[in-house]
Amino acid sequence: MNQQRAAEAPAGAGVSGRSRGKSGRRGVVSAWVDQHFGVLLVLPAVILIVLLSAYPLVYSLWVDFVNYDFQIPGHAFVGLQNFKDAILDPVAGTALVNTVVLSSAMVALELVLGLLLAVAMVRPFRGRGIVMPIFIMPLFMSPAIVGQFWGLLLQRPFGPTDYVLSQVLGHPVTISWLTEAPWNYLAVVLADAWQWTPFMFVILLAGLTSISHELYEAGQLDGASPWHTFFKITLPLVAPILLLAVAFRLLDAVKLFDIIYIMTGGGPGTDTYTAAFYLYERGFQEFHLSQATAGSWIFLILTIPVITVLVRRLLRPEAA
Amino acid sequence: MAEARPARPGHRRVTGHATRAWEVVRFVYIGGFLLFLLVPLYWMVITSIKPVSDYLAVPPVVFPSEPTIVHYTAALYSYRGMQGLINSLIIASATTVVSVAVGTLMAYSLARFNTGGQHLAFWVLSQRFLPGIAVVLPVFLLYRNYGLNDTHIGMILIYTVFSLPFSVWTMYAYFRQMPVELENAARVDGCSRWQALKMVALPLAAPGIVTAAVFAFIYAWTEFFFALILTSRTAFTLPSIFRSFLGFQGAQYGESSALTVISLVPSIALGLLVQRHLVRGLTLGALHE
Repeated sequence: MNQQRAAEAPAGAGVSGRSRGKSGRRGVVSAWVDQHFGVLLVLPAVILIVLLSAYPLVYSLWVDFVNYDFQIPGHAFVGLQNFKDAILDPVAGTALVNTVVLSSAMVALELVLGLLLAVAMVRPFRGRGIVMPIFIMPLFMSPAIVGQFWGLLLQRPFGPTDYVLSQVLGHPVTISWLTEAPWNYLAVVLADAWQWTPFMFVILLAGLTSISHELYEAGQLDGASPWHTFFKITLPLVAPILLLAVAFRLLDAVKLFDIIYIMTGGGPGTDTYTAAFYLYERGFQEFHLSQATAGSWIFLILTIPVITVLVRRLLRPEAA
Repeated sequence: MAEARPARPGHRRVTGHATRAWEVVRFVYIGGFLLFLLVPLYWMVITSIKPVSDYLAVPPVVFPSEPTIVHYTAALYSYRGMQGLINSLIIASATTVVSVAVGTLMAYSLARFNTGGQHLAFWVLSQRFLPGIAVVLPVFLLYRNYGLNDTHIGMILIYTVFSLPFSVWTMYAYFRQMPVELENAARVDGCSRWQALKMVALPLAAPGIVTAAVFAFIYAWTEFFFALILTSRTAFTLPSIFRSFLGFQGAQYGESSALTVISLVPSIALGLLVQRHLVRGLTLGALHE
């Protein structure tokens, strides 16, 4: 494998042997460093990940099975009680359903809008260089801030949305976008699509750009309609990249928290709770830390299959 | 891609009307999407310079007759935006330095020695997708034991770990496409491996390092969830200030919009700098243009 090209260079032989002869102890140290170079280089990163990610996860396994609740003193062993609490909590059910529905809706909308945009943008036109930076700007923003200004746009009574809708539709519109179902779901999906459609767009555009022009021209010469070209040539060719983009977005979308926290606060009641928001509320507002941790493990286990598939795909050497 | 294609005009004449109709649809869609992106941004920017009477007016004011900067000073000084700005700068810069340094070393090791095989690579990469909530609950408890909650160090540590997949994979892709022969030549000339890395590979990888640094900075600059949970009065970052504007009840639209503008400018400016490497960054090196 060419990954190991460097390893073929003699490690202890010739070169470092010479330097060892030249300068005594320093040479020994540097020969030792050379021999273990690969491992030494990954060490700082590995230590950091172990301390701040692997160790906490293992620690939380212990929290799963004891009482860790700021409202109840002590850490008594409680068996599976925490998992039972998390599973039997009706709010957890609501949160899980919301997570599935909202993340599917978001990713589907982002995929369609982003694919259309990529198709529209793939051929050069004058002004494309100015439009591109605008299209990718949302990717550099904090989701909390995106939620903030969508809230500003939609809130009642001072936001402009209802006013504009009233003018357009010709009758008064009084929708409370952030507190009234189903509009609050729509508001959250819109804000998310605003931020992440560019993600789909950028990746699909890269995919479309890599499709050779000869294919299109062959299609055009055969008199294929744009419709036909799209479904018979374009779509099959970008399918692998499209799936990659969807997997990326889906794994982020199921963690949906920021815009929920900012725009609806999970409300009204617990109507717009998502899994992450539910666990946050249980853990950090009510301080039922064990129950939240047990819930987060269930959530983790539900997402692990998707993570595994995607990461394996990313590790394949000739990706895309 | 942009080169002249003499065949095009001919085709266009053949298909005439249909093609023109598609072109109209195409630009209407591009224009529509542009509007969808720009209207919320416009409204936010304009709200940040409106006098109070304007943003509470009922036909909404599209452009204020008397723009003002009072909200900016209020956001910075009454809402502790200045402190948040400084915290964000410290935390994001330190995260960038540590994450890129540690990540570059690891990436080099993975690219040149295949250290740890697929397992190590898999482990690092999967950090990118770990649900934050699963990690932050125990991290919060551990930080509590070691007094790291609401400290700069605590935030820098957690941000470093969660930006590592980006740093490692950006640099990994970079090292993989760099010829190994130069480093081998340095080795033959008597350099140790460390010298070969420091004097040959790193300078050549400088553009990759810049890209990785920008991604790490933007990550730490825009992150909200960890900041919300792990900070309160001391180490709060800019995005986490928005928790104090919740509810949209109080008339703080100007202040919150001003703060939004302040925090958006640096990350957008930096992001546009590495526009060319965006796809690679977003997909952790799986795709590139």
